[in-house]
This record gives sequence, C-alpha cells and structure tokens, in this order.
Amino acid sequence: MSGAIGAVGASRQFTKFVLRMRETGVLVFLAILGIAFSLLTSTFFTVQNITAVASSAAILAIAACAQAIVLLTRNLDVSVGSMMGFAAYLTADFAATHPGISPIVLVFIPMGIGLVLGTINGLLVAYGKVQALIATLGTMSLYRGLIYIYAHGQEVTSSRLPHWLLGFIDARISGIPVLVMLAVGIVVVVSLFLQYFPLGRRIYAVGSNPVASFFFGLRSERIVLLAYMLCGLLCGVAGFLYAVRVGTVTVVLASGWEMSSLAAAVIGGVSVAGGSGTVIGAALGAVVLATIDNGLVLLNVSEFWRMFIQGAAIVAAVAADAMIASSIGGAFYARRPR
Amino acid sequence: MSMRTRTAIPTWELVLCVLIVAAGVWSSKLSPYYLSIDQIFESTRHFIIPGLLALGLAMVVSTGEIDISLASIVAVGTVALSKLAAAGFSIYVAAPIVIVIGALCGTLNGVLVARYGLPSLAVTLGTMGAYRGLAFIVGSEVGYTDFDDSFLWIGSEKLFGDIVPISFCVFVTAAIGVWLLMHRTFFGRHCFSIGLNPDASWFAGVEVVKVKIRTYALAGALAGIAALVWVGQYGSARGDNADGSILFVVTAVVLGGMDINGGRGTISGVVLSLLLLGTIRNGMGLANFGGPTQTVVLGVLLVGGVLRPALAATLARLRRHTSDKQAGA
Repeated sequence: MSGAIGAVGASRQFTKFVLRMRETGVLVFLAILGIAFSLLTSTFFTVQNITAVASSAAILAIAACAQAIVLLTRNLDVSVGSMMGFAAYLTADFAATHPGISPIVLVFIPMGIGLVLGTINGLLVAYGKVQALIATLGTMSLYRGLIYIYAHGQEVTSSRLPHWLLGFIDARISGIPVLVMLAVGIVVVVSLFLQYFPLGRRIYAVGSNPVASFFFGLRSERIVLLAYMLCGLLCGVAGFLYAVRVGTVTVVLASGWEMSSLAAAVIGGVSVAGGSGTVIGAALGAVVLATIDNGLVLLNVSEFWRMFIQGAAIVAAVAADAMIASSIGGAFYARRPR
Repeated sequence: MSMRTRTAIPTWELVLCVLIVAAGVWSSKLSPYYLSIDQIFESTRHFIIPGLLALGLAMVVSTGEIDISLASIVAVGTVALSKLAAAGFSIYVAAPIVIVIGALCGTLNGVLVARYGLPSLAVTLGTMGAYRGLAFIVGSEVGYTDFDDSFLWIGSEKLFGDIVPISFCVFVTAAIGVWLLMHRTFFGRHCFSIGLNPDASWFAGVEVVKVKIRTYALAGALAGIAALVWVGQYGSARGDNADGSILFVVTAVVLGGMDINGGRGTISGVVLSLLLLGTIRNGMGLANFGGPTQTVVLGVLLVGGVLRPALAATLARLRRHTSDKQAGA
C-alpha cells in the first residue's frame, strides 16, 4: 500500500518536474530569442525597447490567460477576439457618451459584458453539449456581427474618450508601465486561484480526467461554465485595456486575437488536451510572441512572416506537447475518451 | 444503431428540402427578379467555393477529425496559380499543379494528425495561420490580377446554351464523386467506421492512419480546385483570398447533418444544406441585408445546427417520459 502511494508521489513529482521543465524550456527559448535579436540589431536590447515589448505582451498575456483557463478544461474558445472587441466597443461608446462617469463604474462595464458573453459560450458548451469549437466559432461571428450592427460603421476616436483613461494607460511607476504591473497582477491572481483554491484545482481535474472527476463527484458542467465565465471576464478586461491603449476603437478591434491567444497559451505549455499547463506559462508564451513580433519589425522582416511563424509555432508546440505526454506514458493522448 | 441512423437522417434531409423551398418562397416574395433561371444559377456562384471545401471537410469530419485550414489552402492555391501564370505556364499545366499543391498541404495536415496523433483542431488551427502566412509571403501583399483569359473560363463561362455556369458543373461533378466515394465504396465505409470507433476499425483491419491521411489529401485537392474556381470568378490572387469563409463551410457541414464527432451523416445532406445556405444568402442579398447581419444569421444557424441533435434527444426523452406515464396510468 505504502509502496503504491510512494509510486504515485514519485510519478506526481516527475510530472511536476516535466511541467516545470516545460516552463523553463519556454524561458530558455525566450533567452535564445533575446540574445539572437540583440546580436542582430543594435536597438533590441535597450530599456526603451524592452519596455515596449513588455507593454505589448501585457494585454496578450491576459488574453492568453483567459484562453488557458478554458483549454485546461479540455475545451477551446475561438470567440476571444470577438469578446474583447465587443466589450471594448460598448465600453468606449459608453465612456464617450457619458463623459462624467466615475472610473470605478467604468471598469466594471467591460467585466460585466465579458462575463455575460462568456456565460453564453459556457452554457452552449457545458449544458448544450455543443462541441467547443463549433459553439465558439458561431458566437465569434455572432458577437462580431452584433458590434457591426450596433456601430453602424462608426468608430470611437481617442478624442472622445476621457483624458484620465488615456493618461492612466501610459502612466509609469518608477519606469515600469502600469499596464505591465496590472497584467502581472492578474496573471498571478489567476495562477494562485488555479493552484491553491479547490475550485481552481477542479478546473484541472475536469480537464485531465473527466471520467475520474465524474466518479469523484465533480459537476463538470458547472466547472466548464465557470471556466468560460472567467475567460469572458478576462477577455472583457483585456479588450478594455487594448481599446484604451490603441485609442481609436473600431469594430474590427482585436480580431485575430483568438489565434494569438491560443498560440501564446500553447507555446507556453498549456495542453490542448486539457488538464496540463499553467497560466504563468501562457503569459510567458505571450512574451515570446511579443518578442518575435518586435524582433521581426526591427529586422525589417515582412509582417506576414509573423503569421507563418505563429502558425508553425502552434504546430511545433502541440507536437512537443505530444512528445512529452507520450514520454510520461501516453496516458493523455492515447486513451482520452472521445 | 444502424436502423436509427437510417430512419433519422432521411427525415432531416426532408426537413432541409422543406426549408429550401420555404427560403425560396421567402426570397421570391422579396424580389420579383428572384424566380428566373439566370438569377438562380447566378446565385450558385456564392456557394461553389465554400461548397467544394464543405465536401472535403465532410470527408474529414466523417472520420471524427476536423480541418479548419482549408480556406487558407485556397489562398495558397490561388497564389501558386498566379505564380505559374506569371511564369507563362498554360492553364492545363498549372491547374493540375495547383490541385497537387492543395493535396500536399492537406497531406501535411493528415500526417501530423493521423501519423503523429496530434489533436486535429490545434494542428489545423496552426496550419491555417501558417498556410495563409505562406500565401502572403509568396504572393506579397499586392495581389496578382493579370490572369490570361484562358485562366478565367472555369469561373466565368457558361454551358448548355449559356445558362449553366461551368463552376456549377464542377461542383456537381465533385459532389457526385464524393457521394459515390463516401456511400458506395469501401473507402467511405472505412471513413464512417473510423468515426464511430477508431479502435474497433483498427482491429477490423482498417488502415486508420492511411484512410485519415487520404481524407485530408482529398480535402486539400478539393481546396485546390476551389482555388481554380476562385481565380476564375474573381480574376485575382492574394494572400487573403477566402479568408473567413471557414465559418460558412463548417456551418454547411454541421447543418447538413454530419456528426461533428464523426461516424454519421450523408453527403446529400451536406449538399442540401449548401443549397439552403446559398438560398438564404441570396435572399438576404436581395433583401439588402448587410454583410454583418448575414454573418450573425450564419452564426445562429451554426449553433442551431449543432444544438439540433441535443434538442431532438431532449424532445424524444420528454415524449418517452410522457408515454411512460400514460402507460403507467
């Protein structure tokens, strides 16, 4: 008996080691990228440029974090970009038409919108039993189409947004942009929630073994719904921050972010087969993507290489994931119920 | 099980037929110009390209996998065709090369999914970006429009007394071919059996990996044909060709009664749902609905199409429940 428990402990330690290795792998990759770009360009390794990379990674890190929570439950959300755009447009429009609104109220609007949109996704997937890809592909076009209809081709320009809002996003505390601090704070809070709270552990449980978690007595529907709600909430926040950062809010804001957020999460070691990976890893994946972006711009490489590299990186990361999983014992991939 | 599918699916196809007629009646009320042969054949243009992709996707879906990179393969195909045209190749040399390039793109997806056992959704999401990036890198941002007229006949000319567009004939031929393949050959039976139970199919001697790779390759080849039609219809080739059309394609396949988890569905259902979506889109165009509204309707139809089996199951359970009660009383 004690031998069996010892074996379980050992295998858990080994799994933890591999997972830790995965994040170290991302860090090593990031370091190699950094060194390569600093050698190739003279402008990469400057305080100014590193700050710029961190700022552009910050919002993607929040979106990747949102995507990662859903991926952990063995689902997927391709409506991330549309939810961000939806929350951003409505909030910016509201702020423009109500200039005197208090900051605290304004912050809750995108969160509320994101929560509602995420809940719709969650209900469809968890209770409607619609495959995650199909459901969110539908809502992706639904949400985006609704913004188009609502906006009538109008856009909200930065001159119509409150000044304090635009000032806040550029603010720095001892050289570090507030945006970056905010992103780090959100990622750390979500990470602590997933690691140490029972509800967070259940998100992992449902994704890593639905059958076992059913016999354990977990209500997977509720947990999947919760994951989608959290995803929507974070997307609302990310969309709002993105809108304020960009300044001019158009109807196509953040389209294509479902790809980037997924790429960041998968590169950061979050498995699409669910149950494995961390949001810290997803955030690191976002930093990797932002670094590649920045380096390619400095190297004067066409932006279309970015698309290619991002796609190839997803495939490579998924393949690496499968290799690690099969080296653990292939339990994840070979025997996952369909 | 087989009895249930046999009785359940034809009724769904019947529902689709009724819906098509209803959509046609609705469209003809919107516009007096709707009910003319020219207009109806003209409207088929809108769904030929996604239709060819949907036929390919239906094969992939029947094995329980998915391929969302097909629209990007179309872009690779059009850009490849533009390069071949610029290099002075004739259409009869260029067209087979484009179809082979499409098949190769599909094969790469298939190898990654079937041979290495990677999740098809993540793989094709990756290759979706990679292929489109590739199309942009090869074709540059500026589109190519200097196609010779010999490259355009497949999309612009008409047959049978100038009525039926050639692209429509291409689609009909492809649909009949895929129908025969999926419902009248061992290959098709193997596809559906893999979708129902890959392990049991493997034990029964089906070469699961090979069959899956072949479905992906065929889907890629159909995307190559779609690229030829694209160039014929629009006369231009650019990296963003067919961007965003995957929503229409997936909607058509799901609404056509293909089980997204594999193993169930018919090609005729997919073709009927294409006709339905084409009619609705044509009608919405006549009624001056904007593009965004059409997208919303498409999204709702997609979700509705997938919710359909769940709703039917709930209805059946309710009916059984009430009949049990009556029997008990």
